[in-house]
Amino acid sequence: MGLEYKAVRWNRQKRIYDFALVGGVGAFLVLFTVSTKVLFPFVTGEILLMRAFGAAAFILLHVVLCIGPLCRLNPKFLPLLYNRRHAGVTTGLLGLVHATLVVVTYHAGGDTNPILSVFKGSPLTGSIAGVPFQPFGFFALVILLLMAATSHDFWLANLSAPVWKSLHMLVYAAYALLVLHVAFGVLQAEVNPVYVLAVGGGLVVVLGLHIAAAFREVPTDRAPDSAAGDDGFVDACAVADILEKRARIICLSGERVAIFKYDGKVSAVSNVCQHQNGPLGEGKVLDGCITCPWHGYQYLPDTGASPPPFVEKVPTFNVRVRHGRVFVRPKPNPPGTRAEPAPVEAESRSSRLEEALTSASER
Amino acid sequence: MNDEFYIGWEERAPSGIGSQVRRAVAFLLAFAVVLAVLLAVAQRTIGVSVFEWGKVKSFSGVLRSQPYPHLLVPRPGAVTGQTSFSSYYLVKPFKFGLDAGLARRLDGKSVNLKGTLIYRGNQTMIEVIGDSIQQQDNPSQLIASASTTAPVNLGEQTLIGEIVDSKCYLGVMNPGQLTPHRACAIRCISGGIPPVLLVRQTNGPALYFLLVSSDGRPVNKQVLNLVAEPVQITGEVERQGELLILRADPATYRRLAR
Repeated sequence: MGLEYKAVRWNRQKRIYDFALVGGVGAFLVLFTVSTKVLFPFVTGEILLMRAFGAAAFILLHVVLCIGPLCRLNPKFLPLLYNRRHAGVTTGLLGLVHATLVVVTYHAGGDTNPILSVFKGSPLTGSIAGVPFQPFGFFALVILLLMAATSHDFWLANLSAPVWKSLHMLVYAAYALLVLHVAFGVLQAEVNPVYVLAVGGGLVVVLGLHIAAAFREVPTDRAPDSAAGDDGFVDACAVADILEKRARIICLSGERVAIFKYDGKVSAVSNVCQHQNGPLGEGKVLDGCITCPWHGYQYLPDTGASPPPFVEKVPTFNVRVRHGRVFVRPKPNPPGTRAEPAPVEAESRSSRLEEALTSASER
Repeated sequence: MNDEFYIGWEERAPSGIGSQVRRAVAFLLAFAVVLAVLLAVAQRTIGVSVFEWGKVKSFSGVLRSQPYPHLLVPRPGAVTGQTSFSSYYLVKPFKFGLDAGLARRLDGKSVNLKGTLIYRGNQTMIEVIGDSIQQQDNPSQLIASASTTAPVNLGEQTLIGEIVDSKCYLGVMNPGQLTPHRACAIRCISGGIPPVLLVRQTNGPALYFLLVSSDGRPVNKQVLNLVAEPVQITGEVERQGELLILRADPATYRRLAR
């Protein structure tokens, strides 16, 4: 969580993450360049580096794209998500080095402006070889660099989470453009099946994980069977379905609501974290606060407000518990509005008393 | 029940989550290592070519401007039946051919120049340094000998190959061919680098045909849309010293589907 903006807040986990990231990228670059130079000693340096950085960027983008659905499928991978933006920025920088080498090597020093040459330098001829694959890479890089430049929370706060999130969802457009860039570029020259299998396999893994994660969330987005009662409350779930300090996510009026059970009470808040739209309902109540699983942003369950001095707020929902079931009013309260938590124990006692009285009167 | 919860801003991850992530990271690192080697080994387009970048040498010979500027350099110890001159294409730095006006003025004259060698197979090129070309003072013997190198007509032939820019393909860039290099090849040929039809043979070394029009003129601007694709060209082939020249109207070049 942040109250003021600092370049980077380092901690042990972040250092380990970045060490593994830089180590992995460095190992790939060194091994690819050394292996190529040993096997093909006449390769020229700029082409070798161009290939190494381009391949590294494309592969790292696959990793970045896979982290999200992987965490949806298994929350134990969440540490990979926490600093995913570092991997994203690294992808953009690797792509920038690749693109700079391409422009300097292939387009500069000729009779046309190098940037103009990227677009008009490869005329359409109606054949596959004539497909101008470099503009695909150019636009993908623009997206990746835009994302890298706005990756800091400063931009998240100033653009607002929905705008920021929409902007960063363009990563999928960048990926599609890069698949085209590779398919109509290097795959037209390097015909070894290894390359086709690598690109195709990457596409299958990325799509497969996203589809699997989407299927897993289908039940969450299914509205409760019961309609709203006269008082506007909807039967959401059984109290027993919610683990202590955890939440159950349900979909009400098209919006995901996280119903938390903690300390003998039930509260409901919007499932969307104000930071990066993380799934609050997959978080946990720690130190009395709902804690987002993505980046640890915290909110008080009854008010939906971050504890002072932090200022983030999410909408709350009115709740009540009857006969072991949680009822939620689908209309959200303004962010930060206190909604009285529904006591579980008292309700249970009163339910048990009610059941006992009913039973006695029947006898 | 294990209810571990990860928070990134804490110093340590819970042990169960930590060990899971360590396994995942180890897998990713191993995958990166394997992929790096696999992708390197699988490359098929890198050939044997050399650009002696940074090594400047001096050359003496007779400059010829047609069909593209080249230098005839006397070959020491020539044996009978072998041409007594080596033909070196001449180009400028970056993506430009030798200045046509300069080449015309010095056509047939003996010159000294400085440059860097580029070579692949039996083809050699010199990237000439700035204004290093100087006309020789006493060249008569050399010119007389070079002028005896007459073209030999090898008849009409139909050839299938790829149009490449000779400078990159011979060694300035390796690989300097096929689609990824297309834009660069177009810029180079547009800038005056001699266009060459590269004919790959299944049994034997690649052949290189300098492309000229039916009347022997440069065709740089006419071939730009056909670079880096399979093409079929029918024309008159002639040997001029070590150079093979293919005379054909670029309008008759045929793009082949791939």
